[in-house]
Amino acid sequence: MREKETTIYLGPQHPGITGNMMVKLKVTGDTIVSAETHVGYLHRAFEKLMEARTWLQCFPIVCRICVPEPDPNEENLSRVIEEIEGREVPERAKYIRVLVLELSRLATYLLWMGGQSGSMGLYTMPQWTVGDRDYILDLFEQLTGGRVYHMYIWPGGVRRDLPEGFGDKVLKVMDYLEKRLKDYDDLLFNNALFYKRAKGVGVIDKAKAQEWGVVGAPLRGCGIKHDVRIDEPYEVYDKLNFIVPTYEGGDVWARAMVRRQEFEQSISIVRQVIENMPGGDFYNKIPNPLNWRVPPGDAYVKTESARGEFGYYAVSDGSLKPRRVHARGPAYVHGVSLLERILQGANIADVSFIMNSLGTCPPEIER
Amino acid sequence: MEVKLQVENEILDKIKHTFHSAEVSIPRKQRVEVKLRNDLIHPFLAYLKDTLGFKHLSHISTVDWLEENEIELVYIVMNYDNLVEVIAKIRLDREKPEIPTLREFWPQIETYEREIHEMYGVNFLGHGNLTDFILEDWEGIPPMRRDFDTVKYAKETYFNRPGREDAQDVRTTITKKSGEEIPELAKVYSVRHLE
Repeated sequence: MREKETTIYLGPQHPGITGNMMVKLKVTGDTIVSAETHVGYLHRAFEKLMEARTWLQCFPIVCRICVPEPDPNEENLSRVIEEIEGREVPERAKYIRVLVLELSRLATYLLWMGGQSGSMGLYTMPQWTVGDRDYILDLFEQLTGGRVYHMYIWPGGVRRDLPEGFGDKVLKVMDYLEKRLKDYDDLLFNNALFYKRAKGVGVIDKAKAQEWGVVGAPLRGCGIKHDVRIDEPYEVYDKLNFIVPTYEGGDVWARAMVRRQEFEQSISIVRQVIENMPGGDFYNKIPNPLNWRVPPGDAYVKTESARGEFGYYAVSDGSLKPRRVHARGPAYVHGVSLLERILQGANIADVSFIMNSLGTCPPEIER
Repeated sequence: MEVKLQVENEILDKIKHTFHSAEVSIPRKQRVEVKLRNDLIHPFLAYLKDTLGFKHLSHISTVDWLEENEIELVYIVMNYDNLVEVIAKIRLDREKPEIPTLREFWPQIETYEREIHEMYGVNFLGHGNLTDFILEDWEGIPPMRRDFDTVKYAKETYFNRPGREDAQDVRTTITKKSGEEIPELAKVYSVRHLE
């Protein structure tokens, strides 16, 4: 007897979905025949709002584009303005920016570890990682005044200098996280349960990966070595030593292992930054922000966020406000066209598992 | 320090040789900017992708030039081998923006085109699935166009919850309750004041 095709709506409110979005699944038995992404639950017209704000007033908006990792947004917007304007950034500010970006990457990976293991029913891991992420948020609180949204990086540098004794605190947290990584290995990465569950699930075809617009850890999980930090070094990444890990397979397991290796690399980058932190100015002062006109022009800049290439395209027409600011998040491609494609033939139970491994973030799709 | 732009110049020459009407420039290292005639975007991207190896589509953006009555489409494509990004720009007539779809080149273009159709009203011929993406059942001018008045729309569409009429502008409410005037200094910190 042929199995009947049924339609299932996963979301917009679902614990396995990373935010508010809906995946409409057509299934026969347990197997997904086709998937369709529906977004629109988080649209806040950020890009339209920015056209009615001064350049500096855009900063509290952009960091809300992605909740788990707001810092690449701030850094991108600052850098795109600096590129249009031709503004120089002091060396110390660049180092502080890299420190913030890498801490944010670590925090995002910790949250991802929780989500990834939570989506397969391993609930100890989220308790641990979310708790450990709080140590990084504590650092952010001391540095920027905010735990999740920082609004710390701005055109010309950063808002404040490092507090006294901050470097030692960061190193202490790094030592702790490195020690903690052994526990994560035991519980998640070296766990046979995880291996059996993740191997061969949500496979991205290596030959098609570039054309499909895959970026970040999913691309490196296909064995393609591409990282914006190496390919188009921004800030001071060209002065730091780190490797870009790749794994073959293109499945959830490969993506997880790539992130596991990158976690170690990030800890090493943070240590190098603290060690080599130069003295001097941390801010190249912008003119009166209320009457600050950015010269006409446009630019596209990008950052390697924890989930892949994060780009900003901005256009200035010489007025007080931007003509256009467009954020390109990795989830725009990963969460819609790629997800729909690789969910075909997958199991219903693997939907949120695959979504988590792709780093889907609905607020970034809708902006 | 002189920056070597050898790869960028090679790409520039190849593009100029093939597309005579294109305006090509190098804004900085790893970037080549191309301004094209509308009807050339299809063959141009095909040439980039298949001949020059620009496999990765980074981004498609749209800019509304209201004063010039044009809508600009910006395609950003990247080559993983020589790490150069090409920014291709075309300008469409704002009254009737139409262009053939490019979804056969990169599957993810479908999403971009759906959004641009919804937000800017650009019609992608042959797309086949220009349905609602973010908005639902939208009528009137597309919301991301410059002449769409957000404040007017919000005033017409949304209403205050009963009992909350006075709580809309914090500053006015405070002055009303306390009977104090807003100091001149505070008035300056308003975007409207600048216009």
